[in-house]
This record gives sequence, C-alpha cells and structure tokens, in this order.
Amino acid sequence: MATLNINGQTMDIGEIDPSTPLLWVLRDELGLVGTKYGCGIAQCGACTVHLDGAPVRSCQIPVGNLTDQAITTIEGLAAEDGSLNPVQEAWIEIDVPQCGYCQAGQIMSATALLSTNSNPSDAQIDAAMSGNICRCATYTRIRQAIKNAAAKMNGTAFYDAAPATEKAGETA
Amino acid sequence: MKLIKDNPLSPELPNFFQELAGGSKMDVGIPDVSRREFFKLSGIAGGGLVLGLAIGSPKASAQSGSAELSTLSPYVQIQPNGRINIFSKNPECGQGIKTGLPLIIAEELDCAWEDVDVVQADIDASKYGPQFAGGSLSTPMNWMGHRQAGATARAMILAAASQQLNIPVSELSTSETKVVHTTSDREWGYGEFAELAATMEVPAPDSLTLKTQDQFTLLGRRFTGVDNHDIVTGKPLFGADTRKEGMLFATYTKSPQIGGRALSFNEDHIKSMPGIVDAFIIDEFGNPKMFNPGGGDMFSGVAVVAESTWAAIKAKRELEIQWDLSSAETSSWDDLVERAYALAEQDGEPLMVSQGFGPNATQVSADKGDAEGVLQNAETVVSAFYEYPYVSHAQLEPECCSARYENGQIEIWAPAQIPQSAETGAAVLLGIEAENSVLHQTRIGGGFGRKLASDYVFEVAAIARRMEGVPIMLQWTREDDMSGDYFRPGGFHSYSAGLDASGNLTAWKDHFITSTGNDQAPMTSADLNPSVFPMDVTDNVKLTQTMFHNAIPTGPMRAPSSNAFAFTFQSFMHELAVASGKSHVDFLMDTLGEPRLTNPENPQSMHTGRAANVIAEAARLSGYEQGSDEPGRAKGLSFYFCHSGYVAQVADVTVSANKEVKVNKVWAVADFGFIHNLSGAENQMEGGIIDGLSQLFTGKITFENGVIQQQNFHQYPLLRLPQAPELEVAFLEPEEFPPTGAGEPSMPPLLAAVTNAIYNATGERIRKMPLVDLGYKLV
Repeated sequence: MATLNINGQTMDIGEIDPSTPLLWVLRDELGLVGTKYGCGIAQCGACTVHLDGAPVRSCQIPVGNLTDQAITTIEGLAAEDGSLNPVQEAWIEIDVPQCGYCQAGQIMSATALLSTNSNPSDAQIDAAMSGNICRCATYTRIRQAIKNAAAKMNGTAFYDAAPATEKAGETA
Repeated sequence: MKLIKDNPLSPELPNFFQELAGGSKMDVGIPDVSRREFFKLSGIAGGGLVLGLAIGSPKASAQSGSAELSTLSPYVQIQPNGRINIFSKNPECGQGIKTGLPLIIAEELDCAWEDVDVVQADIDASKYGPQFAGGSLSTPMNWMGHRQAGATARAMILAAASQQLNIPVSELSTSETKVVHTTSDREWGYGEFAELAATMEVPAPDSLTLKTQDQFTLLGRRFTGVDNHDIVTGKPLFGADTRKEGMLFATYTKSPQIGGRALSFNEDHIKSMPGIVDAFIIDEFGNPKMFNPGGGDMFSGVAVVAESTWAAIKAKRELEIQWDLSSAETSSWDDLVERAYALAEQDGEPLMVSQGFGPNATQVSADKGDAEGVLQNAETVVSAFYEYPYVSHAQLEPECCSARYENGQIEIWAPAQIPQSAETGAAVLLGIEAENSVLHQTRIGGGFGRKLASDYVFEVAAIARRMEGVPIMLQWTREDDMSGDYFRPGGFHSYSAGLDASGNLTAWKDHFITSTGNDQAPMTSADLNPSVFPMDVTDNVKLTQTMFHNAIPTGPMRAPSSNAFAFTFQSFMHELAVASGKSHVDFLMDTLGEPRLTNPENPQSMHTGRAANVIAEAARLSGYEQGSDEPGRAKGLSFYFCHSGYVAQVADVTVSANKEVKVNKVWAVADFGFIHNLSGAENQMEGGIIDGLSQLFTGKITFENGVIQQQNFHQYPLLRLPQAPELEVAFLEPEEFPPTGAGEPSMPPLLAAVTNAIYNATGERIRKMPLVDLGYKLV
C-alpha cells in the first residue's frame, strides 16, 4: 500500500498505476483539486507543487518515482489555524486573480522563490516565474504581489516545506 | 450630481449578443413576469438551496443548513445573524462580475460591504433574466436593474422597521446595514427586521429613490475579488474541481481532420486497459462546425470512461480510430493566404449588412457616398493589404464539465459562459424536456469567448446518458482544446483611402476577404461591421467582400472582430497620418471632427468627443509627441471604440537590429463611463493589454487539409512574466454616463499601438500578424 507525505500528513493512495502523474493522484485520488491541469507537458506551471521545498511540475512526476519526499500543495500553504502566508496575503491585497485558475501554480512558484530568497531582484522574479503562464495576464500584479510579500517577510524565512531533519541534508 | 442613467444596447454588438440580450433595448435585469412574482419567486426560502456564511470579508460559499433565511428577492436574503446574502447572477470567468454586480446591489441596499456574503446564483431565467458572460454586457445590462433590486430590498426593510418600531418611515434612514432613527439617536441592524421585511409588499419601481453619484459609499472605490481567499487557498471553485460520489472520468477524442465521423476503433484493446470502465462511439449531433451555443451540436468521437482521469488519458493515447472523412474540412490556411493575396487588387461582391436582428433583419448595402469618384480625384491615395491569422482562445482551464443522467433527467455542473444555452442545448441533444435539464454554474477558469460555445457540455451529456446513473467528469486535454476550438477567424483587408490637399480623409475603400461555412454569410465573428471607426465618420465608403468556403469552426473571442480589425484599421490610419504630413494625433482628431454622436439617433454610437478625449489624454500622459533620442526607440498610438468603450493606448518600444522588441511601457486611457470597481476595471485593462501583446507577437493557428497544426503551448506560445511591460492605466469618467464593460474594449488598441511604434522606431510598416512571422521577437 503506497503512501505519500503531503502537507505534513501521510496519505494512503492505495494500489495505483505508478505511471500516474502526481497531479492526477492529488486531484482524483486525494481530492486536492487546488493543483490544476493546464497542459500536461510542463509548459504552463498550473500544476506546480513543492517537492522538498522546490517547485516542480506535478504533471511530470510519476507517482511511482516518489518515496518519502515532502510534498506541499496550495492547500498546505496556510497555517493550521488558517492564517495565510505572506504570498497568499499579498495576492488578495493586490487583487491579483482574474479567472484564478493559474494562481495556485503562481503562488507555489512565488512561495518557493521567497523561501530561498526573501529579497529577490526583478531579474530573479522573472526567472522564478517564467514557467507559469497566466492567460488573463495578471503579470504586473504578480510582480508587485511578490515584492509586497517580500516586504512583509522582513528578511526572515516564514515557510519551511519540509521538517527540519530533512532540510538539514539539503545544499540548495 | 445627477442620477447615472440606464444604458441602451450598443449598436456595434454582434447580432448574437443582441439576441442574447433580448432585443434592441437594454434589458434592465427584471424579467418579463409580474413584479410581485419576480421579487417573491424563490426556491430558496424555507429549505432548498441554502447558503453558508463566511466571517470577515465578503466571500461566497454554498452549504446546506438553515431554513431561517429571510428572502426579500432573488437577489437579497438576510441571514439570521444579520449578514446579507447577495446573489450574483452571471458566470464569473475572470471579468470580476461576481464582485462587480453584487456591489451595485449593496450600494442601493445601503450595506457595509463587510456585511455581505456573495452567492453564485443558479440558472433561472424566470428570476434573473439572461445570465451570460459575453459582449462586455454584464455591467451595463444590469446596472439599473441591480440598483432597483437593492433599493427595493432597502425599501422593504424600512417598511418592516417602521411597522415593527411604530415609527413613521419618513423618520427612518439607513446606513451601513443599519436602520437609523436620527431623532432618538437609535439604530438597528437589518437583521432585526428580516422576517417581517420578507413579507412586505414589493414597492413599485417609480416609488424608489435611487442614489445620486455623490451619495455612493461603495461604488467608485477599489474592491478585491470575493473569491480571492478561496483561490489562494486552493478551494474547489472551478468546473474542473467538481467531484461527486462514485464519479468516473472521461476523455473524448474527435477527428483531427475537423468534421470526421468515428466509424470504429480498437475497442477490445481499449476496454482491456487498466481502469477503463467503458469506451464507445458517439455520433455527431447538429452542425457543430457552426457556432451555436444552445443547439446541442457536437462532433462525433470516441468516449473513454475510466476510474481516473489518468487512465482515461492513457487509453486516449492508444486509441486507433477509423474516420469517415467524407464531410470533413479540407481547407488549408496557406492556400487561403495565397488566394487572398491574388485578390488584393480587385473588388469583391458588394458588402450587405443586416439591419435589425433575428427574423426582422434585412440586408442593406453598407456603402456611403461615392468612394470611387473621390478616390480618382484625391490628392493622395494610399493602398495597403493586411493579414491576420486564426487564433486560439487558450483559456488556461481546458474544456471540462460534469453531469449525471438518470431517468430522463440530467444534472450538469458546468464552467459555461452562456449557462442557460448549455442547459437547454443539453435537453435538445438528449431529447428531453427543458425542465429536465438542470445546470449549476461553476467559476470558469478563463473564458475569453471559448466557453460561449457549449460543445463540451453536450459531449458530457451524451456520455452521461450512456453511463446512466453515474456522475461523469469530462476532461479535455490541452491538445483537445487547441485543435478543437471555435477559433478567432483569420482574414484580410485590402484598403484604399483618399486624402485631400489638406491631408484630410475623404474616401475609404475596403475589400474584406473572409470565410463562410454555408456560402451565404461569413462564419461567426468573421463579418465586417461597417460602423467601425473611421468608416462611421467618413462620407465616402465602399465595402466589398469575398468569402472563401472554409468551415474551420470559429466563434467570438475577447472583442470579437475588433481584436483583428483594430490592428488593420488603426495601422492603416497611421499610414494615412504619415501620408497626410500631420501628426498621428492631429490626423485622428481631424478625422473625428466636431464632438457629436456618429449616429444621432443612437446614444450608444461612437461619440467623437469622448473618442478625442481619450486620445488627447493618452498622448498627454505618455508624452507621445516628445520623441526619443535613443536609437530604435519610439512610441506608437492607437485608438479603438467597441462594446461602448473608448480606449486609446500608447506603446513605448525599443527595437534592436536583430528585431528584438522590448515594450518598455504601455499607457492606456479609457472612457467606460462611471467606473464602479476601480480594481476590477484596472485588472481588465492590464489583462487586455498583455493579452493583445501576446496575440500580436505569437498568436497563430494554422490548418492543413482541415487538420489544426498546433497542439499545445510549445507550438502556441503565450506571453510570460518577463515579457510583461510596465503599464499605466487611467480612466476618464465623464459625468452621467453609466458604466459599460471593460473586459473587451481594453484589448484591441494595443495591437496597432505597438506596430505603429515599431514603424516610428524603424520605418518598417507591419501589415500582418503575428510578428514572429516577420522575424520579430518580444523580449
């Protein structure tokens, strides 16, 4: 019986075709529909989740390749008491979303950026966000929201994707 | 300050939207039933659908629960705790209407916005009239009706308060969800009168006092989207997020050559694959090549039903289908281009246009004056040939829909821009009574016009009928979406225009080359509207048309027809400005002439004064007339009027020697009348500009022998964050003009603003889109 470590919980995914992309495991097996399907070929970024804190396209990760990595989805960003992370707060305050379909992926990419660089330059924002398409073209607000979130963070890390014991072994 | 008035329909709307909107007069949101019935009709009070309440900022959710809600109208309920439910009738597809429409009601209801919970209304024409997202019409169509709905509920609360408190109504007022008695310095929350208010007589419309603009406490400020919190926390909101107990997941595969019919497929193999529950052929219904949202029309194909989306996608990849291609499309874009250029020097058939709409429409000539004669004697004649391609909507949520069919009844959960048509069309397809089709509208993960068509709704209806009793989620792949669109049609304009000795525009001639599926009329959104500026202000106009037989499906896309015409018309106008020796601004101003309505009998025709104002302000704001000393850097200007909105944009570009284009900044000035939610209007403008930039540089769909050549974003790139320019948006808000829609008119001017800037920077005139085909690259 396979399990995944998602949003700090161990989740049972039963007997599953190991070729199934993590995206569809989240959406169809676990009901975590916040992670979105947009293209299936890692072109749009709508399916972005964190694997041990790093942003990845979940449409490209066969579930059979996963072991005990810490997976974080959009549903796992807010604290247990419901309080939002600074990126989520900034997204609401700047009124970033139009249709909103891509925004989970955008927020996951932005959160990952700020977890390793709390004061990114414009070029670093461009680089970190260039894998995420927003068809409604909310890009100028996304840029501003990332800057506002960075300001909120005051230079301190606010977000740990993985338990400290696992983080200790990381180099990046 | 005066009352902002009602809003008649804009004349340049496609007939399609005119008919949707119910006629030539703007519907004010109150359907044609008795007023009593309208405000008292309710499937909600005392059970039925009941709405859950959020604390804090307004947001919507639906849950089962209390029967203690007090229903004042289909738009307003009061919760037991005094919070107010306001129902948003139209689909939300990113245009912000789920925030914008309830704000209008809240204003006249005199609510604090913090006390409001917004609820997505179900589909019910008897309560809500037309419910759709199209034509930038939601705000103007509902502006007055929603204000009356708010004022009506407020009057009922005041009447109840008067009765309950035994205080004359004349001594009571309202403020921030409270009834106030100034004389005794007392106030009560609306909730205290909720039960009695729901039984009060509905006041006559002419007894209502609407607020004047200076009395607004909400409208005109910035409001963030009511679903923002749910979006940033990943809550299930979208069509794709629908999940039901026992749900199975389906894919549907159609002929790559559009219009082919499935004859047979490797059924045994597909059904032997893991997780596959069933696989079957579905026949074509109706004429799906033609855009027809409410007819049940859908293409033939093979449905695969599986235990998971992934199993259905894997099986889809292994399908081997034999197609009957006898009625499939055979056209090729390259062939159409070649034939069009061969016609550049000729005229087509005289352009006839519909006057009126529906069965009363008549065909009349679109010509004015004597264009040929004036051109012969003109001081200067300028001719140019323009080309633009097919374009895909590429909304980020691929088509998807859920449905459950049982005993001749179907229940549908759909992200649909015309949910009423999707609901009735499903009934047509299934051969059931309309009342046995029930559709729930979900948030739409991007529309841009694609989800005005309902083919994906009809497909899941047909699949659900085969899988009776089982809820089915149909998920299109991106490849299904990109090759199965109702595309923005490509087309061609061969222009000639005359200038007199003073450099003034005196004659306009256009041979428009387009496509037809029935050899009678152009495909949807592939027709030329003769009221486009500058045809509407030019005395001598000759319009001809050639239609190629080509039924690659087309449909409306954000700013239908304007999204292509603005490029050709406003680029050619710049060519004329250059030939006239005047500045671009002066040439546009001289062409517009004296401030007036271009059609005095229609208050929604273009007003040249409002047009001149946005052009002048965009030029001033951007410093358009001041050149740049930097090599390869210049500004370009463009103006367009559509969907009742006036927009001028200026683009500042730098073009490198190897044709890399950096758009440094875009300024946009719009007149959409009164702006009732500034954040929403700005968002639409910002999105429209960047949408236009994306289409201008890379948007192109091609077809060969009826097969679409682009399948996914690697072949149809969209603009990404690093390419997004700095934006500055401003709104002129002339007094007394009611709000019009912002979603569509925001986009068209961008196209020529950039190509005119490239001309000003390099001297190279751009007469075809996309720019990638001319060697340009957006950086």
